[in-house]
Amino acid sequence: METKEHPSVEKKKITPDKCVITGKGDWYFPQSDIYETPDNFTILIDMPGVDTEHITIDLRDNELVINGEVSQEAYRDEKVLYNEYTIGHYHRHFVISDAINRDKIEAKMSDGVLSLILPKAEHVKPRKIEVKAE
Amino acid sequence: MGLIKWDRAVPLDSLAHIQREMSDLLDILSSAPQGERYAAMEFPPIIVSVNEDSVFVRAELPGIRISDLDIQVVDDVLTIKGERKPVAPAAKATYLRRERNYGTFARSIMLPEKVDVEKVTASYKHGVLLVTLPKASEAKPKQVMIQKA
Repeated sequence: METKEHPSVEKKKITPDKCVITGKGDWYFPQSDIYETPDNFTILIDMPGVDTEHITIDLRDNELVINGEVSQEAYRDEKVLYNEYTIGHYHRHFVISDAINRDKIEAKMSDGVLSLILPKAEHVKPRKIEVKAE
Repeated sequence: MGLIKWDRAVPLDSLAHIQREMSDLLDILSSAPQGERYAAMEFPPIIVSVNEDSVFVRAELPGIRISDLDIQVVDDVLTIKGERKPVAPAAKATYLRRERNYGTFARSIMLPEKVDVEKVTASYKHGVLLVTLPKASEAKPKQVMIQKA
């Protein structure tokens, strides 16, 4: 497994979507990891500043749409002297195939990281075929 | 190796040469593709803000264990050290996409005001670290009363 000595910082990207998003603030494209295990796919998305109540996950047709909203309330009476990141909402979507059992998608949010577990449908799970001895 | 004719250059000529080199260098640097990375930015990205009583330092550190963080204040320098550990998935996992990164980090920042080192507090919520550093009493503005003679 590759481990970088120092995590690098990338400028937050504005979400490339053409869809119209109303409301205040910018929408960013959060970084994510996806890995596959024999039984499911896991998506990890970094969304610092988003709490469980402000996250919405929708499954529309083949698209899994994830929105996370950030509150900027805390800054109201503070003067910002220096900033390296901008605060904004997060939006990302993934297209999923039939290989996923849609009824059993699980989501968990902890410490600003959303983890989505997408179980594989039965027909794509690896199956071991026993060889019978005669 | 070829021989190059050495002629006694006038000092101003070599200055012109340096100038040309510098301008070439500037051209190269400014024409370089503007990457997505901040040139002088370190992990974690921070925001420093102040109000009347305190200095606030926020850092985006999603998915880190509090035990992996080490925060120190010495005089007016705040140091945030830590390690972002990779999520250890089950043994048979195959990565399909990897954008989040991991590793050790350490960064120190000079605080804009003198702070009361004893009263510094830190909290970690939803992946954002907030360090609250109350200003030292000498750094707070004092109202001066004018007495009528």
